Amino acid sequence: MLPIIDISGLRVEYRTQAIGQTHKLAVDGLDLQVMPGEVFGFLGPNGAGKTTTMNVLLGFVTPSGGTAKLFGTDVQQPIARQRIGYLPELTYYYKFLTAEEILRFYAKIFKIPKAEVEPRINQLLKLVELEHARKRVIKGYSKGMQQRVGLAQALINNPDLLILDEPTSGLDPIGRMKVREIIQRLKNEGKTVLFSSHELGEVETVCDRVAILHQGKLRVQGRVNDLLKEYQTNLEQIFLKIIGYQPSIAI
Amino acid sequence: MKAPRPIFTLAFLLVLCFSLAASLHPVFAIMAGDHAGDSMIKTVLGDGRKMFANHFYTQADVYFHSGFYPNFIEQSYATGGPKKIHIAERQEEGKTDDDDEKEEPGMNFMGKSADWIESFGRHFRSHVHTHLDKPGAAREILPWLQLAAELDPQKVETYTVASFWLRKNMHKPDEAETFLRQGLKANPTSFEILYELGLVYYEDRKEPERALNLLDLALVRWRQAEAAHRKPDPHQCDAILAHLSTIEESNGHWSNAVSYLEQEMEFTPSKESVGKRIEELRMKIPH
Amino acid sequence: MNVILAIANVVIKELYRRKDFYVLLVLTAVITILMASANIFNDDKVVGYLKETCLRLIWLSALVIAVGTAARQIPAEIEQRTIFPLLAKPVTRWQVILGKFVGCWLASGIAIVVFYAFLMVVSASHEHEWRLLNNFQCLWMEWMFLAIVISMVLLGSVVFAAPSSTLTITLVVVLGILLLGENLNLVAVHQAEPVRSLLYVVYFSIPQFSWFYLGDFVVHKIGSVEWLYIFLASLYSMAYSAFFLLTTWVCFRRKGLNK
Repeated sequence: MLPIIDISGLRVEYRTQAIGQTHKLAVDGLDLQVMPGEVFGFLGPNGAGKTTTMNVLLGFVTPSGGTAKLFGTDVQQPIARQRIGYLPELTYYYKFLTAEEILRFYAKIFKIPKAEVEPRINQLLKLVELEHARKRVIKGYSKGMQQRVGLAQALINNPDLLILDEPTSGLDPIGRMKVREIIQRLKNEGKTVLFSSHELGEVETVCDRVAILHQGKLRVQGRVNDLLKEYQTNLEQIFLKIIGYQPSIAI
Repeated sequence: MKAPRPIFTLAFLLVLCFSLAASLHPVFAIMAGDHAGDSMIKTVLGDGRKMFANHFYTQADVYFHSGFYPNFIEQSYATGGPKKIHIAERQEEGKTDDDDEKEEPGMNFMGKSADWIESFGRHFRSHVHTHLDKPGAAREILPWLQLAAELDPQKVETYTVASFWLRKNMHKPDEAETFLRQGLKANPTSFEILYELGLVYYEDRKEPERALNLLDLALVRWRQAEAAHRKPDPHQCDAILAHLSTIEESNGHWSNAVSYLEQEMEFTPSKESVGKRIEELRMKIPH
Repeated sequence: MNVILAIANVVIKELYRRKDFYVLLVLTAVITILMASANIFNDDKVVGYLKETCLRLIWLSALVIAVGTAARQIPAEIEQRTIFPLLAKPVTRWQVILGKFVGCWLASGIAIVVFYAFLMVVSASHEHEWRLLNNFQCLWMEWMFLAIVISMVLLGSVVFAAPSSTLTITLVVVLGILLLGENLNLVAVHQAEPVRSLLYVVYFSIPQFSWFYLGDFVVHKIGSVEWLYIFLASLYSMAYSAFFLLTTWVCFRRKGLNK
């Protein structure tokens, strides 16, 4: 079975204006594969290289070295993104459009047949519980509502791979539960999900496999259950041990 | 101590501002002096309004030529003109556009094209030399003249040119007279406006006595301008004297007519024909 | 094509949901109506000055709408991060640029159609004739002019740091070309080298915006322009627009999107 995400020797360098340093290495020799049907957790402290890796997969950033493929196609080709859905960490959409109009816009981009567009929009708005606000412009939405619009637009093309960057960020407990339910539903449908999160309890519950990045390098990768058995502790402690964090006071 | 509520502070400030404005208004009205009655345009533009007035006066000429006119760069580089704005000239009977082309060398600005860009660009410009001299057509130049007069009331040609086209092309002597009187108010010593007013009464209203008075006053103003070394146009004096003699002749006052013609000899380029006319009129004076 | 039209549709929606267009339309209408109510020597058939004023206002308003709309498209997408969900779809950066261009151009076109409809009503009420051919040619050429301007502004928006700099610089350049562009060859002839050669290079490089103002034909009723020259001028406009858009793509394709 071919991996849906296939990253090999990925290297991303940025120019920096820091004194004594001309380039910053954001990702250093990353090898990663995500198989079909998996829910894959992408973990790491802030600045570890998670978002940079996601940006490479989405074609926002050109890698300095190595390769990255989606469904066997190089990520620089737009066609590689035909079967993916993406929910960014900070969700911003055109403030002057309504939720319905945004979904219709993205449906056109994916060339979804006209006959399918309206039923899908109705279904998604029902799923994210925004039916009552479908005709209201985004400018009047709360953060939680905007996040839900984001989720709906990520699912508009019924993607085989969903890339979620901090999907529960800013959501209340009910909102977080709903996101977990959606991820579980997608998994049951055989979809693949790659998501990054700082909510390690959530990751432990939902994910099949995880990878932990630190300072641009992959530190550990494997099945959640295997890692829990190997380290004999929860995922949070594994994470802190991997990144070498020493608490200043005993908790 | 409790802070006063905002609404009371606002009300106090409003009353204070109103009281200040009411008490200072008479002071500023005195300081404004002659400019107290100025329109908003004059107050906003200041002396720069003369520049706009000149632009609008030129715009009237552009309209007179239906857009066939050199732009400001073409004007500055053109040899020989347009030295004077054409609409200031009277349209003489029997003159054709070819005659005008000869007299307006500056209107030959569209010579041979220098390059393909210029050649192609001419298809998007007015490229036929025409005049708005068909009956009623000159109405299009009037708004620009009205605007020019509003911005620079001291530009006398604006009134005389507008009056000419109002009378000859639009057949509106009443409007011409009103406009001229407006110009006279701003320029009380202008012999040009008095002369034009005289023509209104002579040619349009058929009131030769009143025309005579106005033309006489025009002559006096011309002489005063000459005495003050302001170098008034001698052709204007020639025209005033010619009309005075014509009116006196039509009234049967031969000696007055001869007197005006004799004065005209100093200014006229056609001394022979004027001299001949004097002789003819002298024959009519009873001895 | 679907993608380009979908992006264009969003740009058009943005234009008519913002206030700029309506403010300029109302301002143009108010100024024109005020001028129409002026008493010009008791003659109500005077219409030339009204058409000229209205046309100049239309040109200025359309220019402000086009430049203002185009200048903020790409910078706003990057600043507000709406570019990320867009580029995460199967959309290329070239399609984004083309979509923005088509959207701004169509939006400006809609705006000038409304303005010209108003102009035709005002002038027909005085002249008692519609003069459809002249007005259509004038409208079409203005739309072609806006195509070049919008593509220039899109290039500027990718090159310069802020939308305000793009707006200012583009307006200054466009107005400069409108005022001086067609006569640069005349100025060049009277200069010494190397200024003469420099002016000639500029003269032959810049788009000749003066070709696109057909106001004289509308105001002075001096016939119409031959369709062949309208067609050639339109081709000229498309060629320049294509050049600016290609340059925009070259600058944008490697531009980092993260701040």
